[in-house]
Amino acid sequence: MGFQIAPMVDVVFVLLLFFMASAGSQITERELSINLPAGKSSGGGAITTPIIIEISPDGTVSMNSTVYGLPANKNLVELKEWLRTTLGDYGGEDPVIIRPSPDTLQERIIDVLNACAAGKVKNLTFS
Amino acid sequence: MSNPHSPAARRAALRQIPEEDPEFQIAPMIDILLVLLVFFMSISSTEVLQTNDHVSLPVAKDAKEKDKKGDAAKGQKIINVLWDPLRNGGAIDMDERTYGLPSDLIPELSRALTVSPNARILVRADKQVRYEYMKQLLKAIGQAGGSNLTFSVVDKEKPK
Repeated sequence: MGFQIAPMVDVVFVLLLFFMASAGSQITERELSINLPAGKSSGGGAITTPIIIEISPDGTVSMNSTVYGLPANKNLVELKEWLRTTLGDYGGEDPVIIRPSPDTLQERIIDVLNACAAGKVKNLTFS
Repeated sequence: MSNPHSPAARRAALRQIPEEDPEFQIAPMIDILLVLLVFFMSISSTEVLQTNDHVSLPVAKDAKEKDKKGDAAKGQKIINVLWDPLRNGGAIDMDERTYGLPSDLIPELSRALTVSPNARILVRADKQVRYEYMKQLLKAIGQAGGSNLTFSVVDKEKPK
């Protein structure tokens, strides 16, 4: 009995379809990078104003006493917009400091980090 | 003509027809080899060996794709941070060892960072981890001399 090509092509197509269909629901890991201040020397350049973003334990995101995101608001659209326009106007060199409270969940911190990444923040630290 | 009931004739009838030499089947062999190849490809990366499945990562839609080809993935340290709600405390899992306090990581991390100073540190923190604990971890990484820090996230929620 020789090598049968037709059933092999058949099975390979079924496998191909299966992997193509399951690839859509695949969860992929992504990344958000920051630079810790330990490895950076602060060159005495232009004076910059830090933007301080506070996160309360329940997940309310506020800046200069103005609330930019309630706990249910995961996408933080207002914060993204504000960061994008403000940093766009001033070149994006202003440092952004995230100041969560001790009981803030990592999930909420990542939401804010995500908003900062979307708002093209270059200089980011944790307080 | 021989007697069909003789012992010799009965033995001859019971004896099976000798089989032909088994032919070498190429199709099942390719099949098995491909399965083995896929299996070893999926488990062999060091990243798979260093990740902890119990960490449920937070979701972030604007995060970057993983840089697998660049220098970033070379010599990187993966720190898994788990949260135990019953104990209300965290635990750290790095290189298959568990650490209770973030400060316990400093000797191991600084040793790794002396070998490759620009090594990336990938923090896979559970979404329930409190900032109090993360702050201690960030401080420990800073003390060990790490500056290139990356948080792991996922692009969509895990279906329940």
